[in-house]
Amino acid sequence: MNTMRQAGAFAYFVWDWAMAVRRWGAPRAEIWREAFRIGVMSLPILLVIAAFVGTNLALQGFYAFRPLGGGRLVGMFVSLAGVRELGPIIAAAMVAAKAGTEMASQIGVMRIREQIDALEVMAVNPYAWLVTPRLVGIVLVLPALTVISIFTMLASGYLVAVFQLGLNGSTYLTFATQGITAMDFVYGMLKAVWFGMIICLVSCWYGFTCGRGPEGVGEATNRAVVTSAVVCVLSNYFLSEILYGGGP
Amino acid sequence: MIEIIDLHKRFGELVVLDGVSLSIPPGETTAIIGPSGTGKSVLLKHIVGLIEPDSGQVICFGTDMAQASERERYAVRRRFGMLFQDGALFDSLSVGENVAFPLERHTRLSPREIRDRVEEKLAVVGLPGTWDRAVSQLSGGQRKRVGLARAIVMEPEVVLFDEPNSGLDPLTSDQIDTLILDMKQALGITFVIISHDIIGTVRVADHIAMLNAGKLVAWDRTEAVLRSPEPVVRAFLRRNLVLPEAEGEQAHLPRAEEARRG
Amino acid sequence: MVASLGALGRFATFSAVVLRSTLRPPWLVHETLSRCYVTTTRCLLPVIAVCGPFGMVMSLQGLEIFGLFGAERLLSGLVSVAILRELAPVLASVLVAAQGGSSCAAELGAMRIKEELDATEVMAVDSIGWHVVPRVLGLTLATPLLNVAGAASGLTGAFFTAVVMKGETAGVFMHELWALTSPADVWGGIAKTTVFGALIGLVASYHGYHATGGAAGVGKAVNDTVVRSVLVFIVVNYFLTSAFFGQLA
Repeated sequence: MNTMRQAGAFAYFVWDWAMAVRRWGAPRAEIWREAFRIGVMSLPILLVIAAFVGTNLALQGFYAFRPLGGGRLVGMFVSLAGVRELGPIIAAAMVAAKAGTEMASQIGVMRIREQIDALEVMAVNPYAWLVTPRLVGIVLVLPALTVISIFTMLASGYLVAVFQLGLNGSTYLTFATQGITAMDFVYGMLKAVWFGMIICLVSCWYGFTCGRGPEGVGEATNRAVVTSAVVCVLSNYFLSEILYGGGP
Repeated sequence: MIEIIDLHKRFGELVVLDGVSLSIPPGETTAIIGPSGTGKSVLLKHIVGLIEPDSGQVICFGTDMAQASERERYAVRRRFGMLFQDGALFDSLSVGENVAFPLERHTRLSPREIRDRVEEKLAVVGLPGTWDRAVSQLSGGQRKRVGLARAIVMEPEVVLFDEPNSGLDPLTSDQIDTLILDMKQALGITFVIISHDIIGTVRVADHIAMLNAGKLVAWDRTEAVLRSPEPVVRAFLRRNLVLPEAEGEQAHLPRAEEARRG
Repeated sequence: MVASLGALGRFATFSAVVLRSTLRPPWLVHETLSRCYVTTTRCLLPVIAVCGPFGMVMSLQGLEIFGLFGAERLLSGLVSVAILRELAPVLASVLVAAQGGSSCAAELGAMRIKEELDATEVMAVDSIGWHVVPRVLGLTLATPLLNVAGAASGLTGAFFTAVVMKGETAGVFMHELWALTSPADVWGGIAKTTVFGALIGLVASYHGYHATGGAAGVGKAVNDTVVRSVLVFIVVNYFLTSAFFGQLA
């Protein structure tokens, strides 16, 4: 019941934001600043996590395909899983954890310190001013981060396959490139754009509805990351089913 | 200029404003006083249209703030300046950028003109040459003064203050009060001030409105309110002031009655 | 570099203090269990909601790869090992970090900012023993429980996609699942998540306990908690996984 009400309030927020964009447009200079900040902020953690996920994929793949005589298939497994699923979702998770939480806590602090009221009084629409640049920024940056995340996974998978598991490097690369097509990349980008919108709108919404005091900000930040992660993973299944599953 | 007509507002069960009518006289300073939790800030937020009333109207420059479209409301707000309790400065911007913010959003001034205007306003509030200072480096009093510079940078007709003296030491409080008096004389701005600080209020205000439990219990020129026989008013003021003798019963609250009738 | 080494040193010292307080009476059993209960109930839905779709996606993509070799029947066993050993532990821990860890940091941070921790100390009560230890232990206990829930929901998701959506045979799916999964896979996941839970608890309370700078500081503590605890256990996980799979290579 409560969840339904929250979803309703969220939908109302998105509608208000859309109206604000229609009326007030978007502050251009802010967009580039936000895009740059989101990218720079999330990149280091993303590189580390993607690298370790890549190693894990290689180890898992090696184990999974041994019965099929498939040390060779490790490359294919890493690239398929990386490009189609884990690349986009890991990039999204890290952006949610880093940039999303920051959006929620920044806007939350602005809310409790009356800075959002101040924007209103200065006749500046807070949705247009605060949400739009973050949304456009994240939608521009997340696909790029996804590509970086995919290549990091492939590279760390390669290192594990060759140096830890003693597989042949060129076989790995051949199979890695065979497994995927350009369309897989395009679909990965589509997912990234969708995830970016979810993360930004959810995190900003929790910021705008932030409760009083330090607990309020803590709670808004906390909920932002959990909700955006859950919504991303849930919608990921449906996206994958539509893009790759082709129905039952 | 600003007409508040029979304003009612409740949050859940809590009645915050219970039929307040008030007409803010232009070119003068009106102070809204009263114990905490009596809806002073809520009243102020109604004036700028941040909160919608349950019933009643707030009419600013002939526009009903609750009924107006967003565009109309924003047009009215450009004629307002507002100083928030803690300044409400943006932490991500420097002092100068904060003050320049409304100019950059709403005017077509060149960067040079904006800079000049901002420096001028910073000088008015006694903080010249602080453009590059980070907001986090400011003291509470400096924050308020920068907030004040931002409130007057668009050269508004009305400036609203939410507790200009809260959390300040007596000296800084005095400076802010003097600033308000000077600006009123020099610029002819209408001021609406919310305050607990009785001494400062008596010094700067031409009119005092007192709220208690969501109702207006006093509304008159400052000298008259000081003489009000109303027990709540006297109890509230006596804490900080030695009051003159109360007037006879017949004189009490003439303006409030007028407003109610009108 | 030097700064981050210094932070690491402070974190180690903090962890040692927490450990010492943990071993010293009074043991706040009730407090710890109620923390564990709160974390488990708050994280349960997110864990199920994330692990389920992950299992479904694994089935979906796995069937395609195994299909290339006509070896769809191998799917369930391998998916189950992957879920029990890696996915459920890591995803459950990520969500515990995001939900339980971050709210632990937020609570302690708010207490720090509002001087409640100082007040505790002034009343001659050990603030670490009283406020931090039950939270860390609560997270340590809750994470393996949530891991089991996550594994169950992941396997259900995998089963759903493979059998209900893609028409694999339920009997074959279950048979391969039992054949290829060993109890060690289950215990491995539980052991891992116990370690991860303790790490999350320590990282979270370290950031919350040392929060500065008002409401914004609490936001930053929460942010740092999520990012750093995920970082820590992903790195630890690599070595644990290597140790397990390393024997195979």
